[in-house]
Amino acid sequence: MTWTIARKEILSNLLSYKFYVVILLAAVLAATSFFVMTRDYKERLADYGLIRPKPGEPIAVNPPNPLSIFAKGLDEAMARSFEVETIGVTVRAGQKSGNAIFAFFPTPDFLYVVRVVLSLVALLFGFDQVSREKEGGTLRLMLANQTSRSAVLLGKWAGNFLSLAVPFTLVTTLGIAVLGLDRDVGFSGNQVLRLALILVLTLVYIAFFLSLGILISTLTRRASSSVVILLFIWVLLVFILPNLGTLVARQMVDVPSVRALSEKREQVWTREILLRIKGQGDMPSHIKTISAENDALEADYRVKFDRLVNLSKNINRISPVASFVYAATEIAGTGIGEEGAFKSEVVRYKNAVLGKMLASPDLESSEYPAFLYRYRPLGRVLAAGALFDTAWLAAFGVLFFALSYLAFVRYDVR
Amino acid sequence: MIATIVKKEILGHIISFRFIVTLALLLVVVPVTTFILTNDYLKKIDDTSLRQAETETYLRSFGHFNRIGSILQATPAPIPFHSLVRGLTPDINLGQFDNDPLPVMFPLIDLVFIVTIVMSLVALIFAYDAVSGEKEDGTLKLTLANGLARPKVILAKVTGGGLTLLVPFVLSLVIGLLVILVHPGVDWKGADWLALALITLGTALYVMFFYGLGVFISSRHHSSSASIMTSLLVWVLLVLVVPSLSPYIASFLSPTPSRIQVDREVGRLSDTERDDLGRKLQAERLRDLIAKYPVLAERMSEADKKRLMERDPVAREAFEAERKATQGAWDEANRVQGGKIEDIRKAASLKEEAQTRLSRLISMASPLSVFTYLATDLSSTGLRNEEHFGRISGVWDQAFGAYQRRKIADLQAKDPATDWWNTPVDMSDRPRFVYSEEALGGRIEAALPGFLLLLGYGLVFFALAYVSFLKYDVR
Repeated sequence: MTWTIARKEILSNLLSYKFYVVILLAAVLAATSFFVMTRDYKERLADYGLIRPKPGEPIAVNPPNPLSIFAKGLDEAMARSFEVETIGVTVRAGQKSGNAIFAFFPTPDFLYVVRVVLSLVALLFGFDQVSREKEGGTLRLMLANQTSRSAVLLGKWAGNFLSLAVPFTLVTTLGIAVLGLDRDVGFSGNQVLRLALILVLTLVYIAFFLSLGILISTLTRRASSSVVILLFIWVLLVFILPNLGTLVARQMVDVPSVRALSEKREQVWTREILLRIKGQGDMPSHIKTISAENDALEADYRVKFDRLVNLSKNINRISPVASFVYAATEIAGTGIGEEGAFKSEVVRYKNAVLGKMLASPDLESSEYPAFLYRYRPLGRVLAAGALFDTAWLAAFGVLFFALSYLAFVRYDVR
Repeated sequence: MIATIVKKEILGHIISFRFIVTLALLLVVVPVTTFILTNDYLKKIDDTSLRQAETETYLRSFGHFNRIGSILQATPAPIPFHSLVRGLTPDINLGQFDNDPLPVMFPLIDLVFIVTIVMSLVALIFAYDAVSGEKEDGTLKLTLANGLARPKVILAKVTGGGLTLLVPFVLSLVIGLLVILVHPGVDWKGADWLALALITLGTALYVMFFYGLGVFISSRHHSSSASIMTSLLVWVLLVLVVPSLSPYIASFLSPTPSRIQVDREVGRLSDTERDDLGRKLQAERLRDLIAKYPVLAERMSEADKKRLMERDPVAREAFEAERKATQGAWDEANRVQGGKIEDIRKAASLKEEAQTRLSRLISMASPLSVFTYLATDLSSTGLRNEEHFGRISGVWDQAFGAYQRRKIADLQAKDPATDWWNTPVDMSDRPRFVYSEEALGGRIEAALPGFLLLLGYGLVFFALAYVSFLKYDVR
């Protein structure tokens, strides 16, 4: 019976104007986002080609991550070049810095399309599931046929989920396949696996919003009030809560401003160099001091920043949308956790290079070790929180579905 | 008669469910945001004074002109308006080792965000059934059966709806402002209040635009469920898609060389290529001199040279000439390469400016961007402020350069042989960089086109709504 209702839902969706407009919009946006972000990725790849260190150069550069096409996250920060010098690390950033308009608006990556547009689409599929049929009078007829209410609700959920998920999966897989053929992009096996996981996560995200839509639909008598309530909830979940949460966390954890840190670094090396010129101590000991003080700054910042991140993550998780963003970026290797791991790898590399510099009498060597950043393995990423976030998202989806079942059982279909 | 319909619209909205929800949402979100941003602003002030104190301490012990440039740098200061509008924040800081990735993941919320995202959506939620809903309910027939002119009805609808929408916003903003007024640490000046009044005016135009758009869409549809669907699609495109895509489209149409590439090229020009040129020029100039003074061709140690110079005035002249020629050759090399570097940098920055302008222009197809630029420029947290900051920090750079030259001249007057580069100097009388906002007049001038554009967009959609409504089949 459930399946019959699901089929009916799918067929009525296929016949509706809403379905085509919405699917077309989502597909066009996803395609545009793929195109734009692939171009962005290739430009950064070209940059990387320019700054890729020659063998023996003490420069740490991580190539841009192809998965950043889907979830840009912090990839821009991770693809900067870190040149190790005796007095510290010189950082160079890419071309985005020249055009301030980039900073005004969010990046239109796949994650953004899913987070904002697809969630809205899922709500639009769910918002009138019960109230529309009640208004149309078909709900009465359906239930008069001795169909159980749970079968109706489950059938509606499954039918709408499939009519969303199937075209979406098709479009995305097609996009990924086209990207995979592009020689500049080239995903590795591991990356394809990660993409598959992101796709699954996206489906969980869609399911969550569909359940929410159906829940509100069962709680309201009229489709028009259901859509108004849902839009308010949507704005709250997608925009307000995650963005406010970070600010709230900042109130509770004291983190030094990045400018203060940069200024301190400048002070450390200029002080040591001047002391050296004045003839106090030898150069290697000054270099060691500079390096140790910089590391202490970084370590201190890292501890505080991690506390801030954890707190803001926990606050933001009030909205499962934030969980989705965290999980997707971490799986793609462009998340906050990955960036932290990368930064500590850079610090380790800097210390290795400095050790080599200090070992030679003229503080220079022609053979420095090469920098290679290995992304954290998928298992560790999942264990570090991505799995929890996915489960959290799914749990909310199940909870909302259960609640809508409770509401639907008591629903007055007249 | 118009007044009656306006009144009816206002009353109809005020008792509606969506009005109450909007009011509740804004009454919570705006004051909370203001409160948090105010605290954030006070924190930033503390951070700034701490940084300044640390710089002073540093300079007391290590105030040398060598490398002072990397210690004394003009930095933007927190301004009172940050308790409402964040604008472009320096936190992301990709050019330095330390960066703060959190705002990249979730852009932080502020008044501009609330207006652009929440208020525009609310406006469409209010407007989507203005015509199609009344038709469905059958009240539109009745209204028009009373011999009312359609222009009056549509005018009254837009005015009434738009005015009702502004009530929750203004109310929540007033409560938010109480937070600012009560906080002893935040000192808003007359200019700030005026700027806020203008931003509120901009908000009114922005909201009216979306209301007009909603009424237009509503009068193109005969069922309210279809009109909300279309409204949402248009909203997604205008608010979420166009602004985000615009810089990418602009970078496609008007590419810039990557900063990394420019840095590399500059590094090559100022390093290896300069050295090659310097050595070449030095060799050329010395060749002529050696023809004149054969003594220069001899290889001798510095001590021998000194002795020879004391004995032989001709040799002295020769070595003087050699020193001068070498210096001249390297100065020339530095000048030539410096010119090339400046050309490259200038060309790159011209391209960057062109791309920024184009991105801005494309993004202004969306009223969201127009309002964002208008509000950030008025509150001096946007693009215009970055230019203004560049200008005043340039002035300070020059003042500090003059101060540095004067100090060095003083040092040299005392002792010509002094290593003025590395001698400790008391810099407590140096010119300090004080950030001051641009005068309000300039900011208003910059925001004026934005106002006109918003007004124009609004009028266009009002006219479209008007025409569609005149032809609307109310049966």
